[in-house]
Amino acid sequence: MTKYELKNPAGPNLLEEMFDYDSVPKIFFDGPIIEIIDGREVVFDPGEVQARDLVITDTTFRDGQQARRPYTVEQTVVLFRLLSRVGGPNGIIRQSEFFLYSNKDREAVDRCRDLGLSYPEITGWIRADKGDFKLVRTMGLKETGMLTSSSDYHIYYKMKTDRKTAMEKYLGVVEAAIESEIRPRCHLEDVTRADIEGFVLPFVQKLAKIAEQVPEPLRPKVRLCDTMGFGLSYPAAALPRSVPKLVYKIVHEGGIPPERLEWHGHNDFHKAHINGATCWLYGCNAVNTTLVGYGERTGNPPLEGAVFEYIGLKRGLFGIDTAALTEIAAYLRQECHMDIPANQPFLGKHFNTTRAGIHAEGLSSDERIYNIFNTTKLLNRPPGIIINDKSGIDGVALWVNYFLGLRGREKISKIKMAKIGRWVVDQYEKHGRITSVSEEEMIDLLREHLPEHYERAREKGVT
Amino acid sequence: MADLPDDVDKRVKRIVSAILEVPVEEIRDEHYFVEDLDAESIQSVELMAAFEEEFDIELDEQEAMAVKTVGGAVDFIRKCMQEQKS
Repeated sequence: MTKYELKNPAGPNLLEEMFDYDSVPKIFFDGPIIEIIDGREVVFDPGEVQARDLVITDTTFRDGQQARRPYTVEQTVVLFRLLSRVGGPNGIIRQSEFFLYSNKDREAVDRCRDLGLSYPEITGWIRADKGDFKLVRTMGLKETGMLTSSSDYHIYYKMKTDRKTAMEKYLGVVEAAIESEIRPRCHLEDVTRADIEGFVLPFVQKLAKIAEQVPEPLRPKVRLCDTMGFGLSYPAAALPRSVPKLVYKIVHEGGIPPERLEWHGHNDFHKAHINGATCWLYGCNAVNTTLVGYGERTGNPPLEGAVFEYIGLKRGLFGIDTAALTEIAAYLRQECHMDIPANQPFLGKHFNTTRAGIHAEGLSSDERIYNIFNTTKLLNRPPGIIINDKSGIDGVALWVNYFLGLRGREKISKIKMAKIGRWVVDQYEKHGRITSVSEEEMIDLLREHLPEHYERAREKGVT
Repeated sequence: MADLPDDVDKRVKRIVSAILEVPVEEIRDEHYFVEDLDAESIQSVELMAAFEEEFDIELDEQEAMAVKTVGGAVDFIRKCMQEQKS
């Protein structure tokens, strides 16, 4: 056993190569990953994600709308524009898929397309039905997703058919799409419960064969749909649940290259995000996501999580505007009445709020201790504090100024907060309170004692 | 130079008495708010807020919180009144 001696440097070692405070923490790997697949050692180099064109795709307006009240056309347009800002000029958020079935769906597509944005590209979503396919043609889209269910649960019990008939139907629609110069994206529904060698690979190999005969823009894409969230990121996990093995098989045995492969996960076992990130590492370029992770049942990988995973893996922003995510969260709360959980990473109201006995002045003097990165710079969200019996007037002042987004000379003097501070102190000293003061109570106090500032904050959408 | 009221001292002591609950006749100029009059941090801020209201002035937070004694507060308030009325 190696004996380790204490090192006591003159100053702190803050590991800044990894934890540069002004950046998202960078993800480094010590070496290759080795998986045993079909009895052979397969070496994956996680460092090659640096060179690969990883992208995020969005399904907020398709899967995301299956889990909540529908967005209005106006809301869709605003969110689409904000998504474009988040993804930046390099199109890190590369595509967004839309329903095409109702007049409202189609109006949303038209209005978003009229914005003239390069990214996200708009794609459609249809059932594997030639009739539905006319919709795509009418809307003038270049790509559409289509249901190509792959597990026997779906083929035998939902579609009431057999594998051969299902595959022939899927291939018919794929060919029809290509004939109409639309790229088909085959959504392998329930793939983590499917017979990989007995259905998925034969089908995917047929798609690869078709791809050889058509120009690149028409070559079929494959979306791996972990419909029930069964996927596992663990090394050595078995198929069909193993995400690494699935990706490997589709790329190396199915013949679908990384740039035409996408992962669509669900969060039934709390694995949606990590499974998406795992796909990136093992050779799939696109991870399909929704804002706040809203999606069927337990939801999909949250788009905002994928954004920060991307930055960590790529070790740079590459044109991503992370602060636009904060605008999205404010818009979702205010205009779409979305109840974003307070502890939702990156978007929740309390995601960078500390409660545990931290002194306000300490947080103020060096916020790196309790803040994951410079959230003020990257998300326009300074760290917050929870008011309790230890906060004192300094804590109250810090809370108010953080909450109102006031910095430097804009900060309100704590002298103006004497009445708020007194109320807080009395809660604990006179009334024996043992819980922390809620944000709602603090907002009420703001409204009462600093009405002008409260109004300004409300207009900015902070409250 | 604008005229200043000559009862600043008296009004300051009245406020100190009310907030720190000390009889006004016991308050002296040389008294420290914290050490002699047992002011807690919230009370120090309440004192400054009350001075602002009483004398219709704006106090700089850092300068105000640096004032330690009753007499210092009287001088500081006079200075602020002078600056803000001129």
